[in-house]
Amino acid sequence: MSTTIPRLERPKQPAKAVKPGTPATSQTASGRQSQRWLAWIFLAPTILGMGLFTLVPIAASVVLAFFRWDIISAPTFVGFDNFAEVVQDPTVRVSFLNTIAFVIVAVALQLGLALALAVMVQEKMPAWLRTFFRSAFFFPLILSAASVSIFMRYLFNEQFGVVNWFLSLAGIPAVPWLTTPGGSAAVVILVYVWQNFGFSFLLFIGGLASIPVETYEAAALDGATGWRKHVYVTLPLLSPTTLLASVMAIISALQVFDQPYVLTRGGPGDSTRTAVMVIFESAFQRLEFGEASAIGVILTLIIMAITAAQFRLSKRFVFYQ
Amino acid sequence: MTGATTGRLREFSRRTALGALGVGIVGATVASWPRLSGTDIPGRGDNSLSIAIMGTAADAAARQRAIDAFTRLHPDIRVKVQAIQAVDWKDFFTKILTMVAAGTPPDVVYVATEGAQLFADKLAHPLDEYLRRDAADMAEFFDDVHPSLVEAFMYKGSLFQLPMDWNAANMYYNTTAFAQAGLERPADDWTHVDFRNSLAAMRKARPSDFTPYYWTNRLFGGVVPWLYANDTSFLKETRSTGGDWLWDSFYANDPSRNLRSGGYQWLEPNADDPRVFETFDYLRGLVKDGLGVRPEEGGGSSLVGLFASNRIGTTPAGGYWVQGLHEAGMKENDYDVAFFPKWRSQRHQFGTAGYAIMKTAKDKDAAWEWIKFSASREAMELIFPNPVTTPARRSMVNEALYSGKGPAHWKVFYDTLDKYPTTGPIPAPPQQAAVETALMKNVSLAVSGDERQLKQALESMQRDLELALRRQS
Repeated sequence: MSTTIPRLERPKQPAKAVKPGTPATSQTASGRQSQRWLAWIFLAPTILGMGLFTLVPIAASVVLAFFRWDIISAPTFVGFDNFAEVVQDPTVRVSFLNTIAFVIVAVALQLGLALALAVMVQEKMPAWLRTFFRSAFFFPLILSAASVSIFMRYLFNEQFGVVNWFLSLAGIPAVPWLTTPGGSAAVVILVYVWQNFGFSFLLFIGGLASIPVETYEAAALDGATGWRKHVYVTLPLLSPTTLLASVMAIISALQVFDQPYVLTRGGPGDSTRTAVMVIFESAFQRLEFGEASAIGVILTLIIMAITAAQFRLSKRFVFYQ
Repeated sequence: MTGATTGRLREFSRRTALGALGVGIVGATVASWPRLSGTDIPGRGDNSLSIAIMGTAADAAARQRAIDAFTRLHPDIRVKVQAIQAVDWKDFFTKILTMVAAGTPPDVVYVATEGAQLFADKLAHPLDEYLRRDAADMAEFFDDVHPSLVEAFMYKGSLFQLPMDWNAANMYYNTTAFAQAGLERPADDWTHVDFRNSLAAMRKARPSDFTPYYWTNRLFGGVVPWLYANDTSFLKETRSTGGDWLWDSFYANDPSRNLRSGGYQWLEPNADDPRVFETFDYLRGLVKDGLGVRPEEGGGSSLVGLFASNRIGTTPAGGYWVQGLHEAGMKENDYDVAFFPKWRSQRHQFGTAGYAIMKTAKDKDAAWEWIKFSASREAMELIFPNPVTTPARRSMVNEALYSGKGPAHWKVFYDTLDKYPTTGPIPAPPQQAAVETALMKNVSLAVSGDERQLKQALESMQRDLELALRRQS
């Protein structure tokens, strides 16, 4: 069975909507003009928002990375000193390694769980049950990460937490979830994945819905059922969605902050300290905005490099219908 | 033709009507929204004295009686209190710094020891000139306030805040748990060995669902009081010169006058001190033997409830706990408080808080009038009607404040200063945030593993502290 599926060609010119009884040429000219204005009007809020709240801060951050600034005194130009200090700082190095490890584990779990549950929900089941699962899986995403993390702190408390109470019913001794490096990392990943897999889940649901039923029927005629159906039909046809989901999941995981900050404050030791947490601590706790900006610039470059690599690699693994 | 036109017109006017309705709703909302304008933020857009405190809107409202009393005295000064919610003091200072960055700093900020030197170094205006000018008015305040609290707000010879409230790390204990273990009230000079024996007795009496010693990983009430008791600290403590003008003016006859200085300094790390190792090793032993918990990062917000439900035997806390325990249902005899156990010394740890005038304050004279008024007995009684903290004025820490709420030995609170005048503040140099992070991130590791892990954690702490103190604050 071939996995090469021909691309659908898009029409080169959009269909023109012409009002009956109106000269075609004048309508087109004025219509285009007004449509252009309308487009700019609709785009303006987004362009303004992006410019003011995204591009300007990014540019300011890049400039600030070359200065020493504590908010209170005037900034001093220090060249690449901030970058040099950041690279030598063991806490920054550890936090970046933690972040990379977190991304690998959390994204794999998030995508795996989301895909498995999306396939499960798309299988034959009553509509109300499908709706229930969709809502239930998406629900954690709309909760505040800080609130969830505070709640989870109680759940995973070694002495008085509900999780250990359940374990004790099975005769398992109390686990120091939040006070040992392994335990705290596990809880941070668990909480993060639980809260975020709903977004990937929705993407996969959309992707699955777009796979034509005829393709499955054809595959069934060729003898592909059960597990083989998903391996040879679902996964290849879902690859554009998987690319999108993985790009978004990786970018989001690289910026993880709320869960480790509230759950463990980066501890014990530096075991759950992430790159964004170090940016926050440098800027708003130590008043080293230049250094924080330098870390931010490095993190941005890493995110851009990983995303570019993903798109480059995607040419080999992504199939478009 | 007519019909079609009419239909389009009807459709058009319905849309127009709906649109107009939508615009009307938005317009009405905009017009009636009470905080939509930036000038509505307290202190912005008018000449009011804006005062930032850590707390909720309810905390701000609780100060209204004091504001009313102040306004009667100074009708020309308008005061607005802005309560800023924060997890801890570090979080609060972060928010204040964000306001500074945004160009909307408050005029006066309620600052605890944790941030006193950060503010003194960067943001606050010294009170020296005002104290010299109004020395006659202020004498009564200093008579009633222990000099240790005042010294905690000295920085390089100048005073930046007047202490309003404070708390020492005392040891709360559950009287029921003590009784079940056959324990009497601890002696005032009980030692770290006595303490350990008490924990072991409680553990024996209640082997499950109970923690003999609960502590949290933070600057106040974490490892620091144990370090102080063992006559050491994780930072080398020195004193700066200066400040004689204040001590000679207000504390000339105080027995501890010779102990006083121009303020504390923490300039070097001290995590490699053998006594630091010894102290951590003691705590590691408590954890290892199931007598104490591994301290969690970030504080103990759930602690009052757990203590009140008789699931904790002992925990360090200050007078700020009394009202909370009362509200959680504890009767005055259900718990009590004792001095922190002694070791090589019986030096205790405390933290205090008071108002600081920002350098950027619009009207510093008005700000000083607010601070002076807040330090009066009248204002402090309005602000602290309940034992939610320990008032800085000795005379206010009395039977009436704790009546019906406990603890029986409430005198311990102020006696921590009066009987032990070397009792010291939280180690908080201007780089406090970095220092606190360096301490906290290594404590859990230090007390949770074997001796090798403890050594590694202290070496790491020493390195982190060196880096933290080298950085500009």
